Amino acid sequence: MKKIVWLFMLIFLAGCNITVLQPKSETASEQAFLINFSFWLMMIVVVTVFTLFIRFVYKYRFTEKRKDDLPEDVKGNRKLEITWIVLPILLLIVLAVPTIAITYEQSAKAPQDRKKNGVHIDVIGKQFSWTFQYENGKKEMNRLVIPEGEPIIFHLTSEDVIHSFWAPKLGGKVDVMPGKEITYEIKKPEKGSYQGKCAEYCGLAHANMTFKTKVVAKEDYQEYLIQESQ
Amino acid sequence: MIWKYLRTMNHRRIGIMYILFGIIYFFRAGLDALFIRAQLAIPNNDFWVFQGEKYNEVFTTHGTLMIFFVAMPLLLGLMNIAVPLQIGARDLAFPFLNALGFWLFFAGSLFFNIAFFINMTPEVGWTGYTPLSRAEYTPGAGTEFYVFGLQISGLGTIFTALNLIVTIMRHRAPGMKYTRMPLFAWATLITSFLILIAFTVLAIALYLLMFDRLFGTGFFSGEEGDPIFWQHLFWIFGHPEVYILALPAFGIFSDIIATFSRKRIFGYPVMVVSITLIGFLGFMVWSHHMFTVGLGPMANTFFAITTMAIAVPTGIKVFNWLFTMRGGVIHFTTPMLFALGFIPSFVMGGVTGVMLSVSAADFQFHDTHFVVAHFHYVIIASTILGVFAGLYYWYPKITGYILDEKLGKWHFWTFLIGFHLTFFPMHITGLEGMPRRVYTYTQADGIFLLNAASTVGAFLMGISMLFAVWNVYITHKKGEKVGNDPWNGRTLEWTEASPAPEHTFEPMPIVDEIDAFWFAKIENRSLATTLAVRIKPLEQETIQPFFIAMALLVICTGLTFTWYWLTIAGAVLLFSLLIVRSFTDERESFYGKEDPYE
Repeated sequence: MKKIVWLFMLIFLAGCNITVLQPKSETASEQAFLINFSFWLMMIVVVTVFTLFIRFVYKYRFTEKRKDDLPEDVKGNRKLEITWIVLPILLLIVLAVPTIAITYEQSAKAPQDRKKNGVHIDVIGKQFSWTFQYENGKKEMNRLVIPEGEPIIFHLTSEDVIHSFWAPKLGGKVDVMPGKEITYEIKKPEKGSYQGKCAEYCGLAHANMTFKTKVVAKEDYQEYLIQESQ
Repeated sequence: MIWKYLRTMNHRRIGIMYILFGIIYFFRAGLDALFIRAQLAIPNNDFWVFQGEKYNEVFTTHGTLMIFFVAMPLLLGLMNIAVPLQIGARDLAFPFLNALGFWLFFAGSLFFNIAFFINMTPEVGWTGYTPLSRAEYTPGAGTEFYVFGLQISGLGTIFTALNLIVTIMRHRAPGMKYTRMPLFAWATLITSFLILIAFTVLAIALYLLMFDRLFGTGFFSGEEGDPIFWQHLFWIFGHPEVYILALPAFGIFSDIIATFSRKRIFGYPVMVVSITLIGFLGFMVWSHHMFTVGLGPMANTFFAITTMAIAVPTGIKVFNWLFTMRGGVIHFTTPMLFALGFIPSFVMGGVTGVMLSVSAADFQFHDTHFVVAHFHYVIIASTILGVFAGLYYWYPKITGYILDEKLGKWHFWTFLIGFHLTFFPMHITGLEGMPRRVYTYTQADGIFLLNAASTVGAFLMGISMLFAVWNVYITHKKGEKVGNDPWNGRTLEWTEASPAPEHTFEPMPIVDEIDAFWFAKIENRSLATTLAVRIKPLEQETIQPFFIAMALLVICTGLTFTWYWLTIAGAVLLFSLLIVRSFTDERESFYGKEDPYE
């Protein structure tokens, strides 16, 4: 049992530098908050169960002395049972509130107005590469460049099977569907270079379907747009 | 002996065959897991052939086998053996259907496994997402083996579920009211209803996919169709399936924890209600597998809430198990150790389940190793530990021998430690950004040590299974028979001989309370019996179920390779067999040629 507790300490300590818990955008920060929040709420449950478990297993274990003991015939206990029906419900309500708030705002939506304020980028997934098309028509493969601090609105479609667009530090993933456009917004990315990958199994070279993301200053972004694509 | 088993309709023999094949496939699928872990042990690895195509084949096979051809038959096997004995039924209600159900499972699993030997293993993942599983993207016969393998065995599973429902409703011992039924029987009843609905949906999904692949229809793509339809259908099956795997295990643990705490289960009515509630809610959460496909904020919120709700009845069960032990005298036998290992492990899988239900957070978790960790935690902790517990517990009823306790404990500890060592690090690799179903990662990802730990754990689990094999060998070599009641049990199966005889419950015990056998024992009396009972379901040795299943196998082979002459031949064979069956009347041997009621 100690081993498991120790492992939980490990996840906590390791949490200091885990990719998705070091978010680099507002979107990813909200998600990291939910992950941490739900983790600690759930630790309450884990600690309660483990404590009772260890206590009961130790205290009521078979010993030579208790060889002939006949346990009392207990059918149940209404008060106790109501307790562990009501308390988890309360705990889940606490969890549900921020969940609903953030989910409502972040969920990928059906195609949005392209005039909405922000940088609009078309993302086209295809076995096994990514194409990014910018507002002025510039296209580049497997390399995404976006300006810092702006809302970035991705319009995602696939040319063949389902893929999933994921840059862990910038936000959660969103599926890239054939024949249907989905939009997903990443708010206020911070400067830096980040990994991106396909997260939905899409065939032979799924593991190699990666891209690089670069978040640059706004001026550098404007300059990037007018450069000839390499 | 093989000839006898081929023709048997006896519930214990059919159960043994289910378990036997479940274990054979467990070893194959386990070996696949070891290949996966060997390839992922170090960054940029080139282990044997397991990159790209072969890796994709191996994880598809691992998932499909483990769910459909390992977990399902092992549970159905235990249900087949234990449930009739627990409720005082003298066999399943429809012995012919039971044999047919098994042989259909066998035919389906055989069909799926053949693919490997002719190098046509499917590589679409066990979820078979369209459009990847449509003929444009996976041409060749590989995916057909997935479609038809599951279709045939799924049909068998539906038959067996029907059979179990009727058996539990109609063949209980006198006095065995629903309120006195052991919890494994209750779990089996609810599970059977879930199977009936869920597997029917799967059958429809596979049927449509078959049309898309073979005849170019457009259910899952094009103008009218949509790949999302497949995901909906698959998960309307797939999520209840999780509870189909977990609920029977909950039942097994409930009986085992009560037996070895020497105490009745705490809060029996609430336990029954929570099984039912889990089963019911299980149908309302399927879209939590689809948070990232763009269903919109409304759907993402709704399914987050229903998913959280399911944690409540599950939590109730955990606390009731804990309080069953409180005040008891806990005997650390091997079955009990597996039950004790289950509680903390399952709670760890359960809480990550709640974390996953937080839909915006799931955008990060989805399709990463975090999810892999979560579902292995819940399925291994419940189903696999449950099956091991059940096998050690009922082994005397199955074979007449009791498995060695010392080796059993070695098996338990190595398996449990290996299990946590394998899957715990995956929570972190997932959060580090490692997606599922990738065959490689780089040094720069910083997940080498965690993956290496997983690999070590996986091999430890592999080694633990050698203890189990050795245990079975030793036990049978020793060949010491045990009595009716080696565990000091509480329910009716322990009133019967070990192994359970062909003709059980003669005379039939009368049940006057829950755990009647136990309370009779402590009051030093024997259970009242009666001879005025329903007659045993009639059974006869026949090879028909085997041939019916094989005829379906022939039909599907024909369809797979578009050899339509073979399909027609198989169909003719199938219909002839059905006609022969319609004119077979087992009652003749009992009542004589003439129907006495005419």
